[in-house]
Amino acid sequence: MGKITVRYFIEGEGRIDLQLRLIAGEGGLDKEIKFGEINRPGLALAGFFDYFAYDRIQIFGQGETAYMSQISYEEKLRRYSEFFSYDVLCCIFTHEFIPDKLFLEFAEKKNVPVFLSKRSTTRFITLFVHIIDELFAECVTLHATLVDVFGVGVLLTGKSGVGKSETALELIERGHRLVADDMVIVKKIDESLLMGTGSEILKHHIEIRGIGIVNVREIFGIRSVRNRKRIEMVVLLEEWDSTKEYDRLGLDEKTYNILDIEVPYITVPVRPGRNIPVIVETAALNQRLKKVGVNSARELDEKIKRWIMSEGQNNG
Amino acid sequence: MVEKEVIVNSDAGIHARPAMMIVREAMKYPCEVTLIKDNITADAKSIMSVLGLAIISGSKLTIRANGDGEAELVDTLVNLIEKDFKV
Repeated sequence: MGKITVRYFIEGEGRIDLQLRLIAGEGGLDKEIKFGEINRPGLALAGFFDYFAYDRIQIFGQGETAYMSQISYEEKLRRYSEFFSYDVLCCIFTHEFIPDKLFLEFAEKKNVPVFLSKRSTTRFITLFVHIIDELFAECVTLHATLVDVFGVGVLLTGKSGVGKSETALELIERGHRLVADDMVIVKKIDESLLMGTGSEILKHHIEIRGIGIVNVREIFGIRSVRNRKRIEMVVLLEEWDSTKEYDRLGLDEKTYNILDIEVPYITVPVRPGRNIPVIVETAALNQRLKKVGVNSARELDEKIKRWIMSEGQNNG
Repeated sequence: MVEKEVIVNSDAGIHARPAMMIVREAMKYPCEVTLIKDNITADAKSIMSVLGLAIISGSKLTIRANGDGEAELVDTLVNLIEKDFKV
């Protein structure tokens, strides 16, 4: 992944709009955000510059702005020149407070972007953390296809040519939604949450051998796609190998490790005549059942065990 | 496993046609082959995957193959890229 710049953070497409308005320091928009953290510069403004975290996003709330409007011009000059002697990343004023002219002049000269936000400080910080966590999330690119099947994020993997895209196409045709074909960017948003998206350029395109590249959104309409989806199960498609034992019961739950998160995983052997999309649909529904506490295989097994027990008693 | 680095010089970068040429070569071999750019890996046998890397002129690519014919395939791809897809 490339550098996360102030510009990228502010403009980030497809994310919640931070609704920030740039009022000074445009020249600093390409500065890199190195840490996903913020700093409240109150102490620095008051003259205490030890541990001043200048390389984080500076958030000026009501406290800071009240202080700034109180101090004398000479004091401002002294504090601001010290403040801006650091390579400050960028400043955000909440409650749409417009800082004084002197501050803006310094910012402009030192290329420190200054933004206004309509939001309150707490609300802004909550949003900020949400967005920054995702930007700084651990990330991996997988050669796979991601489809939302009945609300379950199913990651189809397997060697090239095994039929991932064709399976996805059939699933789309059946009313499910494509997130990304052939290249899925997976982000670990939380210790238990993997979010999958497609690459910005390839978005919703799919390659079908014999036809070439098609735009799924244009052909099947907006309801056939979605931008991101939590990954809830992995389906490995592989050529039927007659020497291999495939799961016939579904009693043992296998998992697939992605970024240290264990995701439920099944292997589906592909053979002419097997309707893979229907199998994937069933697997997704079965996964949903398991999530609400119904395990078909285990329940049938228990029923049989009970029957065997009672038959045994009747005969004995 | 065989791995080689190559710098893309073609002005237009790797757009659809050059991507197809890479995939076509890769498909001739049974081995697994990946292209790596800025720590992002792509399956060289998948058009979408190769296009997704957004390879522009000057991009540094690592070609990594694993399996039967790995050395030959890596050389073929390096050659293809170095010769600007004019082979």
